[in-house]
Amino acid sequence: MKFFALLVGMILLSFILQEFLPVFDWAYGSRLMLVHTVFLAAAVAVPFPAMLGLALITGLIWDARYHVPVYPDDVVAAMFTQSEIPFGFTILLFGLSGALIQGVRPLFRRGRWELPVFMIGLCTALSLLIEYLVISFQRGGHEISIELWWKLLMTALFSSLVSPFLLLLLSRVAGRMRYRIPTEGLKRRHTYDGDAL
Amino acid sequence: MSRLNIIFLITFVGLLIWITLFHPSSVGRIQRGAMVILRPFMKASNELDGAINAVGKESLSPVQLREKLSSVEQDRDRLKLEVIQLDELLAENNQLREALQYRKKSPLSLVATRVISRKPSHWYNTLVIDKGSAAGIVVDSPVIIPMGDEAGLVGKISEVIGPKSAVVLLLTDEMCQVSAKLENSHEQGILNGQRGALRALPNLKLRYLSKEAVAIPGQKVISSGTGELFPANLILGEVLSVSMGIIDAEAVVKPSVNFDDLVDVFVILPADRSSDQPAAQSPARALSPSPPVTPAPPVP
Repeated sequence: MKFFALLVGMILLSFILQEFLPVFDWAYGSRLMLVHTVFLAAAVAVPFPAMLGLALITGLIWDARYHVPVYPDDVVAAMFTQSEIPFGFTILLFGLSGALIQGVRPLFRRGRWELPVFMIGLCTALSLLIEYLVISFQRGGHEISIELWWKLLMTALFSSLVSPFLLLLLSRVAGRMRYRIPTEGLKRRHTYDGDAL
Repeated sequence: MSRLNIIFLITFVGLLIWITLFHPSSVGRIQRGAMVILRPFMKASNELDGAINAVGKESLSPVQLREKLSSVEQDRDRLKLEVIQLDELLAENNQLREALQYRKKSPLSLVATRVISRKPSHWYNTLVIDKGSAAGIVVDSPVIIPMGDEAGLVGKISEVIGPKSAVVLLLTDEMCQVSAKLENSHEQGILNGQRGALRALPNLKLRYLSKEAVAIPGQKVISSGTGELFPANLILGEVLSVSMGIIDAEAVVKPSVNFDDLVDVFVILPADRSSDQPAAQSPARALSPSPPVTPAPPVP
């Protein structure tokens, strides 16, 4: 419980720090998505129900701060529908990306961070891509430009670059608090353990 | 998956559905709460950004500052006199309009605001300003800046977050659509920006021009005022190129406003949009006073 409270504190702090992070125009308007990165790093270290709780808290605060209520062009549609990206949609994205990254928990516990670091970048970019596709679907006309891919790639790269420090911090704090990274529900399907060699 | 996980998953989905069905007023309350907490950090971030940008730039000496202040005060006094004269002209114009049974024109009411957060959104070109409902700002209010003797369009208010904050959707965003025309021409079209905020200063698209449209590179694009949302004659940009389609033509337009350097912007209050006719005052007239301008006295 203490560890979970600490993670919530880290996420709240990341919202404050996010305000100070610049947008890099040279990288097609991408930025370090610190909140996403902290959430995903935290999601590797907690059981599934706790991850859902974190997704709910993070997504709700994210939408409270960053949700832009832009409505579809069609006046009639706008009257009956939500804004392009509905309030609360980010909670779903955090939940999905958190569920995806939970698959690499055993690796994180064993100290193998290559895949978790890659997955944090990938999940950040994926959640942003889904948002963009939802916007495109609402507006019509699939504008998938090379700049879009660069923007997603750079965002993923920034997240991946920062995530090892966060994972190191989490594993140190977990060790100090005698918190063991859970792996329940993730059964070993083979007997090979290359890391033991 | 364990039973506990399933219970939590169902609860999560239930809460998610409940939250997505929130009424816009509830969403507004939540956003106001978040803004109250995060506003000091937004302002601190903006000030830090300004301080970093100011490093290496030439700073003015006290003597130069005094000279500048004196010059600004002279400008202010001159503009005050202009406002008085123009108010008289407007009153006369309204009298004549009344005689012709036209609707009266009201002067533009402006609110000066400061940008407190730039590019907060990942997919929308937006910024946050430090005034909101307390200053009379409402959704869709146009946002402008002075550009010499004219006014340039920055965007429109997309959301008012409480009494002291509002979100501006910039002209460079695809969803900020402006009814525009080519200067010294009757050609009209719809001007809009780019999807996804992929570039700092993207070129705009002026669509639905007629096939016979004659647009010269460098020709100014201004708001036409026919959409009733934006006043007429606001500077939008200048034509870079024109391409002919099957049934219409499209021009690529370079925006006139530098959206990266915005510090103070002006919001046009809704009172002046009550008129069916586009407001025909010159933008210079519109920009002269920074606090809200007192409307012209009713014509007897």
